Amino acid sequence: MGAEKKIEVEEPRIGVFVCHCGLNIAGVLDIKELLEYSKTLPNVVYVKDNRYTCADPGQEEIRKGIKEHKLNRVIVAACSPRMHEPTFRRTVSDVNLNAFLFEMANIREFSSWCHPSTPQEATEKAKDLIKMAVAKARLLKPLQTIEVPVTNKALVVGGGIAGMNTALDLAEMGFKVYLLEKGESIGGHMAQLDKTFPTLDCSICIEGPKMVDVGRHPNIKIIANADLQSVSGFIGNFKVKIRKNPRFVIAENCTGCGECKEVCPIEYPNEWDMNLGVRKAISVPFDQAVPLVYTINKDYCIECFKCVDACGARQAINFEQQPEEIELDVGAIVVATGYDVYMPYDNPLLGYGKYANVITSLEFERLILAAGPTGGKVVRASDGHKPHSVAFIQCVGSRDKNKYPYCSNFCCMYTLKHVVQLKEKYKQDVEIYVFYMDMRSNFKGYEEFYDRAREAGVNFVRGRVSKILEVPETKNLLISAEDSLLGQPIEIEAEMVVLATAAIPKKGADEIARILNVTRGADGFFMESHPKLKPIDAPTDGVFFAGACQGLKDIPYSVSQGSGAASRAATVLSKPKWKIEPIVSVIDPAKCRNVNSKCGICAERCPYGSIKVEEKKAAEVITAMCHGCGTCVAECPADAITQMHFTDAQIFAQIRAALETNPQDKILAFLCNWCSYAGADLAGTSRFEYPPIIRPIRVMCSGRVDRDFILEALRLGAGMVLVGACHLPYDCHYISGNWKMKARMDALAPMLQKLGLSPERFRVEYVSAAEGVRFAELIREMTAQLNALGKDKIKMENEKLRPILENMLKRKEKK
Amino acid sequence: MAEKEKERIKASEIDPKFKYEIAKMHGGEKLMRCFQCGTCTSDCPVARFSETYRPRQIIRMTQLGLKDRVLNSDTLWLCASCFTCTDRCPQDVEVASVIRVLRNLAAERGCIPQVFKEQAASILASGYAYKIPDLRIKKRESVGLPPLPRGNPESIRKTLCNVGFAKHIEKKGE
Repeated sequence: MGAEKKIEVEEPRIGVFVCHCGLNIAGVLDIKELLEYSKTLPNVVYVKDNRYTCADPGQEEIRKGIKEHKLNRVIVAACSPRMHEPTFRRTVSDVNLNAFLFEMANIREFSSWCHPSTPQEATEKAKDLIKMAVAKARLLKPLQTIEVPVTNKALVVGGGIAGMNTALDLAEMGFKVYLLEKGESIGGHMAQLDKTFPTLDCSICIEGPKMVDVGRHPNIKIIANADLQSVSGFIGNFKVKIRKNPRFVIAENCTGCGECKEVCPIEYPNEWDMNLGVRKAISVPFDQAVPLVYTINKDYCIECFKCVDACGARQAINFEQQPEEIELDVGAIVVATGYDVYMPYDNPLLGYGKYANVITSLEFERLILAAGPTGGKVVRASDGHKPHSVAFIQCVGSRDKNKYPYCSNFCCMYTLKHVVQLKEKYKQDVEIYVFYMDMRSNFKGYEEFYDRAREAGVNFVRGRVSKILEVPETKNLLISAEDSLLGQPIEIEAEMVVLATAAIPKKGADEIARILNVTRGADGFFMESHPKLKPIDAPTDGVFFAGACQGLKDIPYSVSQGSGAASRAATVLSKPKWKIEPIVSVIDPAKCRNVNSKCGICAERCPYGSIKVEEKKAAEVITAMCHGCGTCVAECPADAITQMHFTDAQIFAQIRAALETNPQDKILAFLCNWCSYAGADLAGTSRFEYPPIIRPIRVMCSGRVDRDFILEALRLGAGMVLVGACHLPYDCHYISGNWKMKARMDALAPMLQKLGLSPERFRVEYVSAAEGVRFAELIREMTAQLNALGKDKIKMENEKLRPILENMLKRKEKK
Repeated sequence: MAEKEKERIKASEIDPKFKYEIAKMHGGEKLMRCFQCGTCTSDCPVARFSETYRPRQIIRMTQLGLKDRVLNSDTLWLCASCFTCTDRCPQDVEVASVIRVLRNLAAERGCIPQVFKEQAASILASGYAYKIPDLRIKKRESVGLPPLPRGNPESIRKTLCNVGFAKHIEKKGE
């Protein structure tokens, strides 16, 4: 972590700078008293007040103070650290004081602004806040920002429309991109489609040129017909292993002429055509394939070697080709693995796979496509005739609690596309029924497209289809539903049924999730780091998502996200070095239990999977992956883990400082930086007044709040203890730190009650950054409870608890 | 009743708390999940032959809080409890159970169709849902069939009185 500065061994020389903030602070608090008080605190050698500390003259005062009084710790008692901590960190760095030797006491949002009508008590609270800051500052250590080198190359996993866009954008920015594709060709599902909604332009006509661009780009290397084997390392420094499966055709020699295909005698069902058409044992899945390299399917090849003769001097065919292992170094990874389509064989009520004329939408897509197996003719499998009535069934598998509970997002629109295409092709010669529950057409131009379908005379029936039966003689189908708008059960006879089946997570998504250490939601799609503000980032730094693998998307949305992912990846790739805040966890191998017995609790609880545990070895934090929530620190049963800048010793010092006088009258609170501390700030900013009896301690995440902190606070006789966290289930800034805290406190609370603690004296509350009102109300409510309990009862309980708690905390004192 | 169900809905007859009341009872928990797809009604063997019985509409009225309309409705009593609706529901709403819950509430206010009341009274009196005529019993004897098992109306009455059922069938409908 860089060279330790000499400063560490020096006796702390603390300077306290108290800010008036105009009248914002000075109008309520007695600044003189605060200055006098600060002077009495241990190691404080200099105090100074400023009208506006954040303004240039105020900052200059700090620099001057450091130089003239040889200060090696600085405290600014002013506004919230969420406001100006970065400013003052820079100020002290200007005169070569380590930025982490700076601490703030929040006497504005937490005192003058929220207790204006009780200036005396507010001043007392401000004193405590300064005392707590001094107590922590005495134990501060200089920290260096951690830097890791960055390999400025990217890996894109999946060559569909989203992945292609990511690759192209990154390549255009000048980064080298490896585009990994599992299949024989890039293009993804879009290359299978006939037209695209709502414009009805031909899918391959717009995607084909893009595929060619990708194939030709000097910065893109396509690795097709290959699987992701493993990924190790961290942001900026991933090591990727890929297995390239044999095509039995040498890519460099194959010209894509197709002469081999002409002579090949073997045909097999073409998966690309949803198995409706056939391809040769040596072939490409479709004519526009990129890379245009032929592949031999050994499952079908009879090894007649006619292709070898046809290829002749080019010598592109090699029946002995072996799988190839490729190793790559990349700095960022974009996952764009797309989706699969549900095949409803398991639903006997709909007759798919049983009745010849029931097909899926993707099969319909291949039928109506001019280059498809029927040359663009929509025909029935039972007799090859054109249907005169077609029923489209929506939400097959989607929005079904027993199958896929989510909405598949694009089925409404592609069904509208299909019905418009059919109507335009066959006009009044075909009658169309669409069975739907809700028609979702909520993007640009989509509602107009729905209009077009209605105007064409399509019958929309609002009701979910309950069963489909076949008429044995005609092979027509009887579809049962309730026309819920009429309130009548309805039966329709159609010559063909098209099922809009659910889009589902890609087969192998679980494997990708395991390799990249990313999580999947309940629906099976990859989980983004934050649903609103980090919708493209994976929780693992340096990994990003594009397209349907993160949640189902149509083409324009996938393209946008592809470009978004490229831009996010570029924020990493464009830097020679990646900087990491040094407030990470560090494990002391001498204390780690895993050396002698099996433990690994830290690794299990880390929301980012950033702790490596191997048998009989001390656990190890992969610093570049650590986000600094401190959950592992609180969970470690051996106290072997330390979070830099939020050490146990520093927080214990804050607790003791806060509770030195009249502890029974105070609420000691642990507030997480992102939600509850911000909520408390907002209460101040909004001037919501509440009783000045709370003493807050800031932690980055509620996951950091150790059981011992609670025990220590109660041992010292705190009137009440509060843990403030982000709301469950998804608000936590560190994915799940609040859940880990909850589990810990859920176990602690009943134990404390058994020992005789009134339940209202220990509380866990969830306050968001927007809930200033709620925070103020909460403190008012808790104060009322505290008063109702009465000092005597609290003191009595404390007397009873103290020896037990002291016993429990003995382990801590030994340190 | 069918006529009344077609009447315009007035704000005064909506009880917005009704849905919570139902959702608290066993079987009614998932009421709010229903998104009115109509699968229940499409598959319902009764709806196929009835002009008024539509399970989807019963759920709809319950969600909306049309308490009196639902509980006073005759169609509530047409459900044959085959549970096809519960089986097929894509949202796991236990449609048949919701109807059972509603029937219980209707019974509590005495809204039981006459035919069911008579049946219940018969059970109370004889232990049989249907009183078997003497002629039939004689006929059984004459062809040598064994006598019917004897009911135990006393213990049935005791049970039904204890669970409070007996007093419901004596109540008059609203």
